[in-house]
Amino acid sequence: METNAILGPVATLALWSMVMWLWMYATRIPAMQRAKIDAKNLVGTTGRGLDDVLPAEVQWKAHNYNHLMEQPTVFYAVALALAIGGMGGGLNAQIAWAYVGLRILHSIIQATVNRVMWRFGIFALASLALIALCLHAFIGFVLH
Amino acid sequence: MSGSLLAPGAVLALWTLIMFGWVAATRFPALAKAGIDLKKAPPGGRGADLEGLLPRETNWKSHNYTHLLEQPTIFYAVIVFLHLSGGNTELTRSLAWAYVALRIVHSVWQATVNRIPVRFALFLLSTLCLLALSVLAVIATLG
Repeated sequence: METNAILGPVATLALWSMVMWLWMYATRIPAMQRAKIDAKNLVGTTGRGLDDVLPAEVQWKAHNYNHLMEQPTVFYAVALALAIGGMGGGLNAQIAWAYVGLRILHSIIQATVNRVMWRFGIFALASLALIALCLHAFIGFVLH
Repeated sequence: MSGSLLAPGAVLALWTLIMFGWVAATRFPALAKAGIDLKKAPPGGRGADLEGLLPRETNWKSHNYTHLLEQPTIFYAVIVFLHLSGGNTELTRSLAWAYVALRIVHSVWQATVNRIPVRFALFLLSTLCLLALSVLAVIATLG
């Protein structure tokens, strides 16, 4: 259904988050072995503690995975609301694709070169797309 | 005012991005004042690294933005559950609007005065609204 077109980018970003999850562990587990960390004897530690012991480049994948669990949760909520309200097609679907494309680019930058200004520029653009979706949801659900 | 249970969700999502704007509007001047040049920042720096470098009041906006991406994610899920399972009632709409209003006051408080007892009381009250919505969502979806 046309008004459900926005669910495509929703599914894509969810799947991309899982790709970043794989990338995180594909680099973290070898790095923990190299650092001689014996996970069998760890009690109560969290991934954050690895910031002090693993190479920064390895942790960048985890930083981005965590980042994908932050603002995109608002994206999922707004996209679902727009779809339920019959506003998930046309321009809103295109904006959602732009958001997801920018977030994937943001992930790759943060996981590799991680230059802060590049990362921030992409994040700001993605946020503008999300602001547009939020405004459309606000207009559709609150003002109408 | 809209009769949709999704309306308070849309307002809170928009408010979250307003807080994002507040973070950006205060962080960049503070970075400049602290003599931090982002173009020369080492790769991989994150907002959390600014603790202790920027004034506390500046980071408070960011603390709240992060806070808005924690518990409210459950709120969004619960109102969608209620909406999809016939749980849009006067009671659930009132609870949802109360949750959103309390979260906005909580944001303004954390970003400005930020005295803990008041912040905690606001958070507790909003959590009670969410708790009630969650119970109603379980009833609506099972029933």
